[in-house]
Amino acid sequence: MSDIEDHDDDRHDDDGEHPSPPRRKLYDDDEDDEEGEEEEEEEDEEEDEPSTKPSTTKHRHKKPRTGLSRFLDIEAEVSSEDEEDGEGAESDSAIDGFISKENDGVYGVGDDLDIDDRHHHARVDYKRRQAERSAEEIARELSDRYSGRGIGGRRFTGELSEIPQRLLMPSVHDASLWQVRVKPGREREIVFSLMRKSLDLEYTAKPMSILSAFQRDSLPGMIYVEAKSSQQVAQACAGLVGVYPSRGIHLVPIDEMSLLLLIKKVDAGEKIIPGTWVRLKRGKYAGDLAQVVDVTENGDEVGVRFVPRIDLNPREDERGLGRKRKKGNDPTSNNNPSARPPQRLFNYEEVLKVYGRTAVSKRGQVYVFFQDTYKDGFIEKDVKLNSIILEDVNPTLDEITMFNSNNPLEESLVDLSIIAEASRKAALAVLQPGDHIEVFQGEQSGVHGIVQEIQGETLTITALGLDLEGQKIDLPARSVRKRFKPGDHVKVMQGKNAGETGLVVAVSDTGSTPSTSNVNANSENGEKRRENTVVTFISDMTMQEVSVFSKDLREAAEVGNTTNIVGEYELHDLVQLDPQTIGVIYSTSRSSFLVLTQHSQSRLVHPHQILQSLRPKPNSVIATDKNSHEIRLGDTMQETENEHRTGRVLHIYQSHFAFLFNRDVAEHGGVFVTRARSLVSVSPKGGVITPGGASSKKPTSDLTKMNPLSAGGASGGGGFVGSTIGRGPRDRLIGAHVVVIKGPHKGYVGIVKDTNGVGLSGVARVELNTGNKVISIEKGKLHRKLPDGRTEPVEGPGATWGRNGGGGGGDNNFNLPMGGRTPGWGASGGGGGRTPGSGGRTPSWGIGAGRTPNPYATGGHQTPAWNVSSKTPNPYAGGGGGQTPAWSAGSKTPNPYAASAAAASRGGGRTPNPYASGGGATPGRNAWGGKDSWGSPIPADSGSGIGGWGAEIPASTWAAQNAPTPAFASTPGFAPTPAIPSTPGGNLSSTNTPYSSINPQYSQYSNNSNAYASYGAYAAPTPGMLPTAIGRRANEGPGEYTPPPDWLLAQHLTPHLTSLRVNISGTKLPHQPYLDGLYESLDAHILAASRVADNYEQTALVKVDLEKSSAVTSAQLAALSSTPADRSIPSKFLLPVPPSSQDDTAIVLTGPRQGDKVKLRQRPDSGSPTELVVVESVDAGGNASGTNGTEGGAFWECQKDWMCVCW
Amino acid sequence: MSDAASAIIPATKSRHLRACLLCSIIQTSQDFRSIGCPNCEEILQLKDNPDRILACSTSYFDGVIALIDPETSWVARWQRTAKYARGMYAVRVKGRVPEDVEAELESRGIKYRPRDQSDQD
Repeated sequence: MSDIEDHDDDRHDDDGEHPSPPRRKLYDDDEDDEEGEEEEEEEDEEEDEPSTKPSTTKHRHKKPRTGLSRFLDIEAEVSSEDEEDGEGAESDSAIDGFISKENDGVYGVGDDLDIDDRHHHARVDYKRRQAERSAEEIARELSDRYSGRGIGGRRFTGELSEIPQRLLMPSVHDASLWQVRVKPGREREIVFSLMRKSLDLEYTAKPMSILSAFQRDSLPGMIYVEAKSSQQVAQACAGLVGVYPSRGIHLVPIDEMSLLLLIKKVDAGEKIIPGTWVRLKRGKYAGDLAQVVDVTENGDEVGVRFVPRIDLNPREDERGLGRKRKKGNDPTSNNNPSARPPQRLFNYEEVLKVYGRTAVSKRGQVYVFFQDTYKDGFIEKDVKLNSIILEDVNPTLDEITMFNSNNPLEESLVDLSIIAEASRKAALAVLQPGDHIEVFQGEQSGVHGIVQEIQGETLTITALGLDLEGQKIDLPARSVRKRFKPGDHVKVMQGKNAGETGLVVAVSDTGSTPSTSNVNANSENGEKRRENTVVTFISDMTMQEVSVFSKDLREAAEVGNTTNIVGEYELHDLVQLDPQTIGVIYSTSRSSFLVLTQHSQSRLVHPHQILQSLRPKPNSVIATDKNSHEIRLGDTMQETENEHRTGRVLHIYQSHFAFLFNRDVAEHGGVFVTRARSLVSVSPKGGVITPGGASSKKPTSDLTKMNPLSAGGASGGGGFVGSTIGRGPRDRLIGAHVVVIKGPHKGYVGIVKDTNGVGLSGVARVELNTGNKVISIEKGKLHRKLPDGRTEPVEGPGATWGRNGGGGGGDNNFNLPMGGRTPGWGASGGGGGRTPGSGGRTPSWGIGAGRTPNPYATGGHQTPAWNVSSKTPNPYAGGGGGQTPAWSAGSKTPNPYAASAAAASRGGGRTPNPYASGGGATPGRNAWGGKDSWGSPIPADSGSGIGGWGAEIPASTWAAQNAPTPAFASTPGFAPTPAIPSTPGGNLSSTNTPYSSINPQYSQYSNNSNAYASYGAYAAPTPGMLPTAIGRRANEGPGEYTPPPDWLLAQHLTPHLTSLRVNISGTKLPHQPYLDGLYESLDAHILAASRVADNYEQTALVKVDLEKSSAVTSAQLAALSSTPADRSIPSKFLLPVPPSSQDDTAIVLTGPRQGDKVKLRQRPDSGSPTELVVVESVDAGGNASGTNGTEGGAFWECQKDWMCVCW
Repeated sequence: MSDAASAIIPATKSRHLRACLLCSIIQTSQDFRSIGCPNCEEILQLKDNPDRILACSTSYFDGVIALIDPETSWVARWQRTAKYARGMYAVRVKGRVPEDVEAELESRGIKYRPRDQSDQD
């Protein structure tokens, strides 16, 4: 209670005689209650009084006394109060709000009359003295008062200055800090409230006992209260709005207390210096880059300059108004950023022209236009520090160039090193393990390396280069920069060009930017400018050069496509420009598009000029091409007029205009427009033309064929037909997970997005899982990934998922459980032509055959596949169906394929019988020509077919062989498989012709052999498409093949017996090792083996080959090198050795082709014994068997452990 | 209770809060003008001196402390405001006092500690 005025004050309150500050009234009651206590305090204060008196007096002099105060004085006297009170009251009320609050509880000297008297006299004396004083004295006093004494009246001494901060750390004796949750955004307010509340309650019965409270801007939603206990905190917070003590009042650990006060917000404001780049936060220029020109002393405001956005095409009325009401319609303060004019340097003449002479004035070097100052074309403005963004400014090169371009000759303020500095931190963030970096400063300067690890600011790199090669080096992150060299494929990670990818064509130091070179040359630190290099690359998208800082780049394999979206419009969107005009966006830039209209004109449009985006509903667009085939979005079509351009259909407008896209077309970003009726399909994608249509040679737009109902009717075969005709994905392969097995992308995994062409040479567009890249690759280089991790070719032998040549029917097949199960056979019976192949293959494995599968599968496909891929065309050519290698290869085994082929062709879905049986039958027959069983049934079927055929033949032949597929019998349901036919015709007929034409049978049945041929050919592959269901089954089904104990004695092995390589295994029985396990794991030749009576153990005479055995122990070596290597061993200990490398010759042990001698044509690389490998059938002489020995034999796929390798 | 003087507690909503660069007390600019700085008026002489107020105080501060009992409060001790008037203080104040004030402080043997936590010891 240092100030004596307090007493005066309070006394008045008591008496109620003097006007008192209204707020104090609130506490009168309390004060009355506490009077007793406070009497004591007053006495203390009495003692203080003399010392503080001068202060009081001086204070009073601030206000000249008035008549009124005199009056009050007198009143005070009358009421036996100290006369000072009057003055006190007056002066206090004059400066109310200053010290008053603390006074609330303090009472004046009260009833002490002696003191009052004394005071009174003193005052009278004082007045007298005042009157007597000279002017000089008064002046001196005044100057004294104002020269050093403030209200506190205290001489400033600083505080605790000499005590280091660390000695101020809190101790256990200090009150604790408590964290209290508050409403976010109200922290400061609440701290203020606490202060006010504590002052208000100070002399009440319940004073607040907290010592302090504080808030930090960086800790939103909480305040900290210093108090001895949490109760005190709770008490203090009670009743304050926005405080949530219920959410807990948490003690702050003592060692964290000081940290709360030490929080130092990274304060960009502190580093503002002229030249710094900032961004404006609000208004028309929001987001624009600005450069600091100067900073006010206290740092509240900064002068910035930036490129103005003056609307040079103001609407007429606005301009008129603008002149009159500058404020209201100021063209420079347009608040609608979406419609803001482009950035453009201020041009006096232009502005003059638009806004008139009155709007612009010139003052010395600068122009003033609507209260803004323009200098050198820039607008210069003082802005508040909080209206600019200081962090993450990341100026782009373009923006900076804008600042530079103005005055290239003048030494510019722009110093790229500033940007580099500012973005250094950001650069840290963009470094990632694997980045190539270059050290540009410090000891290791010049070292290249690859980032291994990033820990905070420290990098671990593996150095590259001569001496340091391979060494791990730790470096500060800021001493490295990313390194690129021409030829790298890079992707922009941030900035305006983010997402762009391209090939680096040039890398240059920032210093080489012409406009900045002089600046950098001046830079003292020569290294500085090397922190960032400018990398120029050719964009993959625009084919234009783009320059960016290296820090914004990453090496990337992908091709970018993310910048294609502007607002709600996307590249290749169909948009309506006006009621008459539509167009396709073929190029996007920051805020505008280039649109190709249906009249083939190119227009530059801004988003607001677009009326709407016409997003077609998938499949809702119907148009027909020149051949009256339906065109669907995404089809690859070719023009039949003009330039014969080919492209993928992007959009079709009003069934008339088709927008196509071909990235090879240079014009209009690859987009071109043409009439839909002038297009023809390029690839045999699932057209809708039915076989009927084809065979009748009426390529008309038979839209009724699109109608599933009528189509179904036509097919006659069954009700399943074509509900999805022409709608399903055209290629089963689309969407399949594949792995690339050859070429630069080998090993990459992706999803097939599109296919074009059939066979191994067909091209698939595969979207790689890595990155976002889509590659085009021949299907021959693809393997499908099966769910169990195995792979198989997507096309050709072994492909379960061949192309859905037929088109439409795919879906149905999928949906038919039967298709899934026993399709092949069923198919063959019912005419579900296509199913067979696949059916043949997968299902049979899946279901019954267990381990006999592949041959079938391959068989199923084989022929057609070969045909298609034209790898083994000859066989067909040479001898008609009968000659197909597949057949010949399979001559020993009744070839399922034949059946499937037959079935396939005849199934033909909806064009059933005649030609189906024809086409189908032919190969079948030829293939089986030698075998009676086949020959006869077929003709029998040909007429109507189906059921009997499938059921019968396979059942007998196959079942006999591999016992399996009960399903075979289930031919029935199959009938339907619909669409088989469709497109294939076009493409395939050419390649396949030989097939059909050579085949005499064929022509019997057909009017149009080509057509048939194509179907036939197609029918076969179709199987492939069969279905996941089957695939899965297949996977479940065939497990590892365990040869029976007497596998060696199987009849079909006899011719090859002596060439088999076997492994002696299992002799180390736990209890009774056979021959002490001496021969365990050795490889051996079979010398002889023959079946003995059943009750004896079957043995074989073998010759152990120590040299070639892979695992020979020294004990074996010692024991066997001396003894004759021939010995007889029970055949149960002899296991076949599966082939392990390409070109291995092997004998097929099981399956329909058991006994075949094959050569591995694929390097087996999976550890799984069940891996499918491509093999080629070989004749006994070791030559590939074929119609003419030079050509390759039949390729098919065989599970590895079904084979035994030959020596 | 403390016998320290109490500074004016500005209205929370005030948009013109400024913090003294020397003692970090927070007041409105009007208060600075009418009464100066409750702690350092003697050396800063802010009263009725708007230019001086601009130079010696700033609106750029972080964190607000309600200093209720400076004498006993550890926060006050830590902030070196224990001997000052009760009132609102800033945790961190950006900027330094003008050079003449620094010189004056030096002449009085007072170590100037900027309130921006730039130097800690």
